[in-house]
Parts: sequence; structure tokens; C-alpha cells
Amino acid sequence: MRFLLILLALVAFSSGETLVSKRIKGEIPLDPFAKVWEKAKGVTVPLAGQTVTKPMETSLPVSSITVKSLNNGKEIAFLLIWEDKTEDRFHLINTFSDAVAVQVPYRPSSEVPVTMGGEKDRVLILHWTAFRQENLEKGYSDVEKIHPNYAYDWYPHAKPPYRYPEDWANQYALAYIGGEKVFRKNTFKTPVREVVAEGFGSSTWKDVQTAQGKGVYRNGKWYVVIKRDFVVENSSNPDWGPGKTTYVTFAVWDGSSGHRGARKVLSYQWIKLKIER
Amino acid sequence: MAKVYNWQLKREVNYPYEHKRPKRQFAVVMDLNKCIACQTCTVACKTTWTPGRGQEYQLWNNVETKPNGFYPLGWDVKLMELLGDDQRWEGEKYVGRTVLDGTDTETVIGWMPDDLDWANPNIGEDEVNKPVDVGTVLEGLPHPIWMFYLPRICNHCTYPACVAACPRQAIYKREEDGIVLIDPERCEGYQECVKACPYKKSMFNYVARISQKCIGCFPRVEQGLQPQCVITCIGKIRLMGFINTPEKAERTNPIDFLVHIKKVALPLYPQTGLEPNVYYIPPINVSLDFLKQMFGPGAERAVRTYMAMREGREPELQALLHLFGSTDRIVHHFAVGKNEVIGYDEDWKEIVRVPLYEPFQIRPHKDEKIGVVRQDIP
Repeated sequence: MRFLLILLALVAFSSGETLVSKRIKGEIPLDPFAKVWEKAKGVTVPLAGQTVTKPMETSLPVSSITVKSLNNGKEIAFLLIWEDKTEDRFHLINTFSDAVAVQVPYRPSSEVPVTMGGEKDRVLILHWTAFRQENLEKGYSDVEKIHPNYAYDWYPHAKPPYRYPEDWANQYALAYIGGEKVFRKNTFKTPVREVVAEGFGSSTWKDVQTAQGKGVYRNGKWYVVIKRDFVVENSSNPDWGPGKTTYVTFAVWDGSSGHRGARKVLSYQWIKLKIER
Repeated sequence: MAKVYNWQLKREVNYPYEHKRPKRQFAVVMDLNKCIACQTCTVACKTTWTPGRGQEYQLWNNVETKPNGFYPLGWDVKLMELLGDDQRWEGEKYVGRTVLDGTDTETVIGWMPDDLDWANPNIGEDEVNKPVDVGTVLEGLPHPIWMFYLPRICNHCTYPACVAACPRQAIYKREEDGIVLIDPERCEGYQECVKACPYKKSMFNYVARISQKCIGCFPRVEQGLQPQCVITCIGKIRLMGFINTPEKAERTNPIDFLVHIKKVALPLYPQTGLEPNVYYIPPINVSLDFLKQMFGPGAERAVRTYMAMREGREPELQALLHLFGSTDRIVHHFAVGKNEVIGYDEDWKEIVRVPLYEPFQIRPHKDEKIGVVRQDIP
């Protein structure tokens, strides 16, 4: 009941906000400190713990996020800024990474369930994670990097980051434990993954991964740019583009608070996204 | 939240999914009186499934010393703390708390081991339950001083906590054999299963960034073979098969016979509510209080039955134990002959025949025929 009240209060508080995606010419830079971002007007969105489905998150280490958006007719980009006292760049045993996500409905309507869409009401989620950024910038977080003095006799099979040779005798392990898809998920050259969802627990990686991004941690804040083409070929796309209006929501994960998956803070109401022509 | 029936507790427990038992259920019986902690099972599992990066401290099969050994550190002590004083049995019915009762914000009552908790798999090895006093050791049973080895794999629970806790439905229980698997393609490494599993048999691989666990050697089981840890056991303490629910128990099914008919093999910490499917024959030299905490109220009866067997009063049970480690095939039925026990497959085709007593030969000290003296060696 307590959670519901918080939820209702937030809904009332955040209604009426509109985010305008400013039209610019030329390439949108991935650098969050690029001058061009000064052209866009920021919107501050309140966040609350995920208390709709279990496991829930009742802590609120991040209570708001500031968002800007730019588009150049072909691509749309978001700049996401939030305060986070700790920089968490690793995804290890009981250690979780900072992350942020933008959610866009395929159908440009605020009736699409804000809770990761619904059945046949798909949403696109662009999910930036600090650990992927870390891997790209400072090398894969492999055994040697995490435990530099670690002694292990011999790795007979696995090559970093995680792949078994195709001629390995234990084909079951090849298919079950490592496998090509796990390897592929860990070796994308972007810190942003694209997933689609039709409700809780249904989020699934898209086959075509094109979203770009970059996160910078500075003075107790994360500055993250996420960028994607409006229309990606050979893939499904939300109904959005220059001159159109759709909706967005945001979620933030604070790694040192144990946030991952459902344990996150998020904005509970669709925010209108007006994309300038 | 659905209500599902747990026969080990003789009551219903909460579960997020509807009651649906697999067509048959993978189960292993382990005789703790025979385990010597040689870790051959551990090595067999390691070399088959977990030699890779990020799996250095993943032991899907481990053997720990009880009461002072743990992998990960203090896993069962934590479980006892979480369930607290509310672990009450009324006869054979459990009326206390289970981990599936959850909380307002969590599906399963769990805890998350830290990185270093996994780094001491041999902690407490060979330590006894308390300091040895003067003038004790073998005075009556149960012994005042005791320890035993507890080999552990995933319990392939009927109501797995990992399945209940995974927010992505990345974990599933196979309909054909009840083996619980993590789908490596759906897993995002949130470690909710690691937190939820009270037996801590789900582990995170930080290199692959997915959680991994014992797979019950499903490729072997599909071929009618027992898992690696079972067939490599040099002490022959393990038998893998399929278990039925008590009302459908078959006397000729070796697992049913041990668990349901003789009630000599018991689930590990049944009070979790998950209906774990590795069954242990409790060690007879251990404090009954400890055994009851670990295996439920049936521990005393199981110990008595086993002691009776040692005195020759349970010939069928004794015969069945000879089938352990006698074949790599899965034994679906067994029968006891005059001086042998016979294992059969699903269609009652004979797999193995094991003599109960080897013929005893006495040879004279001197072999007159070739004129040599025999040394006193076997």
C-alpha cells in the first residue's frame, strides 16, 4: 500500500512534462560534453524504486535523472545525467554495474503499459551498462584483469572472453555452457544493448544490435549518451521519426546498491517525446 | 502465488507457478556412511563441465565436511538463521517457515554469498564437531565426537527456488526428467538464482557473465546413463535413478525403495520447501539432533534401519546397496536373487548382476604341486 501511494504521488508529480528532441544538422557526437548538447533543453524526471513486481527495490539511491535529446533526421540521441556517489564499472560475483535505460513503445501511445510493455504491445529498450563501457575502454574484464595474481594451471578449452573451440570433444559443454550466443553478447563493440520486451521478464536481445553510446563518470555524476537510428534495416523499429511524437521512460541502476534487473529505480509515467522535424 | 503439494513436508507450499510435476524426476541417493571425501566426483565434474574461465571456483559437485565445512562459506548456517526458530515439525508434517514463503518484496527468502565465500571449498575439512575430550571416541552410539562428509550436487528440486526467483524465466525444469537448467542465452547474470537457492548450487561466472549450475549431466541421462559424479565414485556411494511420489512408489524402483519403502534415504534440509531430489542415507555415528535438523524427523528411523541392515536384518536393502556403482546405466528396476542383485532397465532388460558374497577360498600355506610357499597376501 505504501508503495502504491508513492507511485500515485509520482504520477501526479511528473505529468505534463514534454521532452523535445532538438533537430540539428550533421553527426550527433557520442561525447556527452560536446557543445551541441547545449542546444537541447533538459527535462528532469523523478525516479522511484521498482515496486510493481518481485524482486522489488525499495532503496532510492538515485531520485531523478536529467534528460536531453537531439536528432538529425536519421538518428536520435539521448543525454542522460544522474547523480551517483559510486562509480561501479564491473559485473562480478555479488558486484553489479551502474546502468541506465531508455524505453520507447513501438506504438506511439501512452496506453502501452509503462511496465516494459504488454502482450503484443512491444517496447524497445536501449540499455547502457558501465561494465560494457569498461570492457571497451580498458579491456575485457577477464580473470587476469580481475584477479591479476591468480594462479590457475591450465585452461584447456576456453579462450577469452569465453569460447570453446568448435572441435572440442565435449560438444554438450560447447552448446550449453559457453556457446556462440553468450560469446557474441559479450563481444559487441558497443556499451548499449538493444532489447525488446512485451511485459515483465520478457526482455530479449534483438538480433541486430546497432545502438551506440558512451558514458563518462565525472564529479559524482554519470553522463551517458545513447544513440540509435530511427529506422534500422532488417530489424523491427518503433513508430518514431522526425515530426512525430512518441513517449519515453527511463530507468537507472546503481551497482553498489545491488541494483540489477528488476532491482532498479525508474520513471513510472510515459514522458511525451516531441521529435523536431 | 499458487499452492503446490510437497510430499516431503506433507503439506502445501507457496510457489509462483502452478503445480506441475515432470513426467519423471531425476534423483540421486548418496550413502553418507561410505563417503571418504576423495573428491573423485568433484574432479570428474570439474573436468567434464567447469574447466573454463570464470569457473575456477565453480564446483557443481563438492564434498564438504560436516558440521564445520561449507561451500560456499556457512551456507547452511545462514539457511538456519533465515528460517530461524520457526522450523517446527508436528510429527512428520512440517508446519514452520519455508524459503518459498518469501517477503513483501522478494519471491524467495535468500541471501547472497560474497566473492570470497566461494573461495574456500575445503574449509573445515576433517574437523570434528567439538574438541576431543579424554576417554571418548568410540563409547556407544551416536558418538559424542563425530564428523562426516557431505557430497553435494544440485538437488534438481521439484519446486526450485532458482526458477521461482529468476525474473527473466531463464531457468526451467525439464518435463522429461525434471532436471533444472539455466538457459545461457536468456540469462543476464542478475544472480537472483544465486541469492535464492538455499543450497547455493547456482553460481555466477563473471567472465561469461551468466549464472551456471549442475546440469545433472543431462546429455548422459538422455542416453540412459548415470551422471559423471555417480559413476566415478570409487566408494560406490551413489545411485542415480527416477523417483515417484510416495503414492506411486514402486517397490522394484531402487530410488523408491530406498526413499519411500525403507525410508532410509532422506532429503537435505527438507524445510526449505523445495522438495530437493538428492536423498541421503544419514551417517549412523552422528548426533541425532543434528541429523534431524539436516534431514528432518525421519532421521532416527533411517539410522535404525541402516543399523539393522548391518546386523543382517535388512537383506533386501543390503542387496540393493550392492547395485550402487555397479553400472553406468540408469537402473529402473531391481530384483534380489539368492546370492545376487540384478539391475534392469526401463523395459526390464537386465543391465547388471552383482554377487552379494564372493566365493571364499582357503589355500594351503605350501603349494605341494609346484613346491612353493605362499606369501600372506591376497
